[in-house]
Amino acid sequence: MLRLKTEQTNHVQVDKPSARLSLAFIIVAFASLSVGALAGMLQGMVRGGVIHLPSWINYYQILTAHGVLLGLVFTTYFIVGFLFSGMARTNGGSLTKTALRFGWTGFYTMLIGTLMAAFEIIRNNASVLYTFYAPLKAEPAFYIGSALLVVGSWLAGYGMIANYVAWKKNHKGQRSPLFAYMAIATVALWQVATTPLAIEVLFQLIPWSMGWVPTVNVILSRTLFWFFGHPLVYFWLMPAYIGWYVCVPRIIGGKIFSDALSRVAFVLLLLFSIPVGFHHQLMEPGISPAWKMIHVALTLIVVLPSLMTAFSMFATFETTGRAKGGRGLYGWFKHLPWTDVRFFAPFIGMLFFIPAGTGGIINASNQLNAVVHNTIWVTGHFHITVGAAVALTFYGIAYWLVPHLTGRTLTKKANRVAMVQIVFWSVGMFIMSTAMHYLGLQGVPRRTDYTDYMNNAEALSWIPWQRVMGFGGGLLFVSAVLLIGVLIYLGKFAPKGNEEYPIGETDGEQYTPAILERWPVWLSVLAVLIILAYAMPIMEQIQHAPPGSPPLRTW
Amino acid sequence: MRPDPTPSKKNQEKQVNTDTEPLKGTFTSVLLLGAFIVVCWVAVFALFLNRA
Repeated sequence: MLRLKTEQTNHVQVDKPSARLSLAFIIVAFASLSVGALAGMLQGMVRGGVIHLPSWINYYQILTAHGVLLGLVFTTYFIVGFLFSGMARTNGGSLTKTALRFGWTGFYTMLIGTLMAAFEIIRNNASVLYTFYAPLKAEPAFYIGSALLVVGSWLAGYGMIANYVAWKKNHKGQRSPLFAYMAIATVALWQVATTPLAIEVLFQLIPWSMGWVPTVNVILSRTLFWFFGHPLVYFWLMPAYIGWYVCVPRIIGGKIFSDALSRVAFVLLLLFSIPVGFHHQLMEPGISPAWKMIHVALTLIVVLPSLMTAFSMFATFETTGRAKGGRGLYGWFKHLPWTDVRFFAPFIGMLFFIPAGTGGIINASNQLNAVVHNTIWVTGHFHITVGAAVALTFYGIAYWLVPHLTGRTLTKKANRVAMVQIVFWSVGMFIMSTAMHYLGLQGVPRRTDYTDYMNNAEALSWIPWQRVMGFGGGLLFVSAVLLIGVLIYLGKFAPKGNEEYPIGETDGEQYTPAILERWPVWLSVLAVLIILAYAMPIMEQIQHAPPGSPPLRTW
Repeated sequence: MRPDPTPSKKNQEKQVNTDTEPLKGTFTSVLLLGAFIVVCWVAVFALFLNRA
């Protein structure tokens, strides 16, 4: 009976209106990835001293394009598209009309914002990097475009909330599907985390870039940015975790290890990924050491849900492998589906997350941060976190999601090419990030154009490693080309069919405490944590503001 | 009120079976993961101390 139920529930097809909405987001995501990947490869080549850019384009321009297109645009569009598809999949295959309306309004708002920001980057009027740190100043259209990107994502989030509320109304007293629960936790995190960013952009950066006010409070703007910047990492990670917790168990023919543990992990991520921003500002003046220490302590708490995730994944793999006949300490390992890209890609992503998470703990520890702060170590850390753990998981998802949404199938041949793509990406990222970590420990700065520091001997010794970085970047670009090729094939040319949308189930009924779904409780706790962590220091930064800075344009 | 229906006897038995399955590999893996984190952290801290 249980098996029958599983078979039935796993053949739900996302209906056409919902699929169109998800696909729209996913197409923009991968279009921006293709341009962003090209920018990334060029950067690597420049930094390695292999090529020189033509005079009409500068290093910081492509650095900004790379960061914005991959860190903000690719991730946000893919996440919204993926979450909408999963909300539909766990709601009988369809989104409510309200959800679709909010979804499309959000999509067009985001698109207009993205095009405005991209236009200013192309015109070389916004080479302020993806963190748009003041006092570097971009043209107003860049900030307005970024604000629209955020507002659009809010609207899309309201659509998901509307869908969730409708599901709850129709299923009174029932626990929501795990996917929907996790999607709502991600949306909640995004709504809270982007609010200070919107405040920074609307009340500080736009008036300042318009020339309405002569100066900007730099420390306040950075504090507001990192209020957003750290949970941004979790906004990337949580949908990847959804893939790991909900989709991967089904793909490998196993069960979700624990429904309650999965939900607790997401509640902890929601609570503790926000009031921690000062660990990005440990070397900055204007914030007292006590507040920095409080944020560091809270940061170390957010390690817990990631470790819970690691345990849960190992346990799912082990129970599944043992059920298939695996014996001994690690005999279960070889019973996992190693030739299935839907599993292989996220699994490699999980492996990358081990050094990525470790690097995160190092970055967040005060003295260790002094060793690596603003070095290219941080760039390496960033790349194995979002560029490997998250990106590989998203690729693995896209390989079944795109054919599911277009009514096609992931063929064996496409699976083989996709496996090659994942290997290229993994090897390229391993080579590039290892070189970045190694150079960073020697103090090599990040965000720097090619330079030999006037033939300084030590700086010259870095160049070979920078070439290694460029080589890794080249492999990543080849991989990106393969990825786009396979996705176009899956979306347009693959045989028609019903590709499964994998949604895992728990092994029998499991008890999950109802309080985990009482959002007002968790949002109240979150509000208290944010007030405790940020109210006093932000008040100090306003009351004892440093002299404001006029805008700078360094390019 | 708890949202879940009370698990049936059959499911409770299944749950017990799942819980008693060996997770030795998982336990070893998380210990190795923890050790990796500690080793890396100590290594960078040693670098900090050397440079200080």
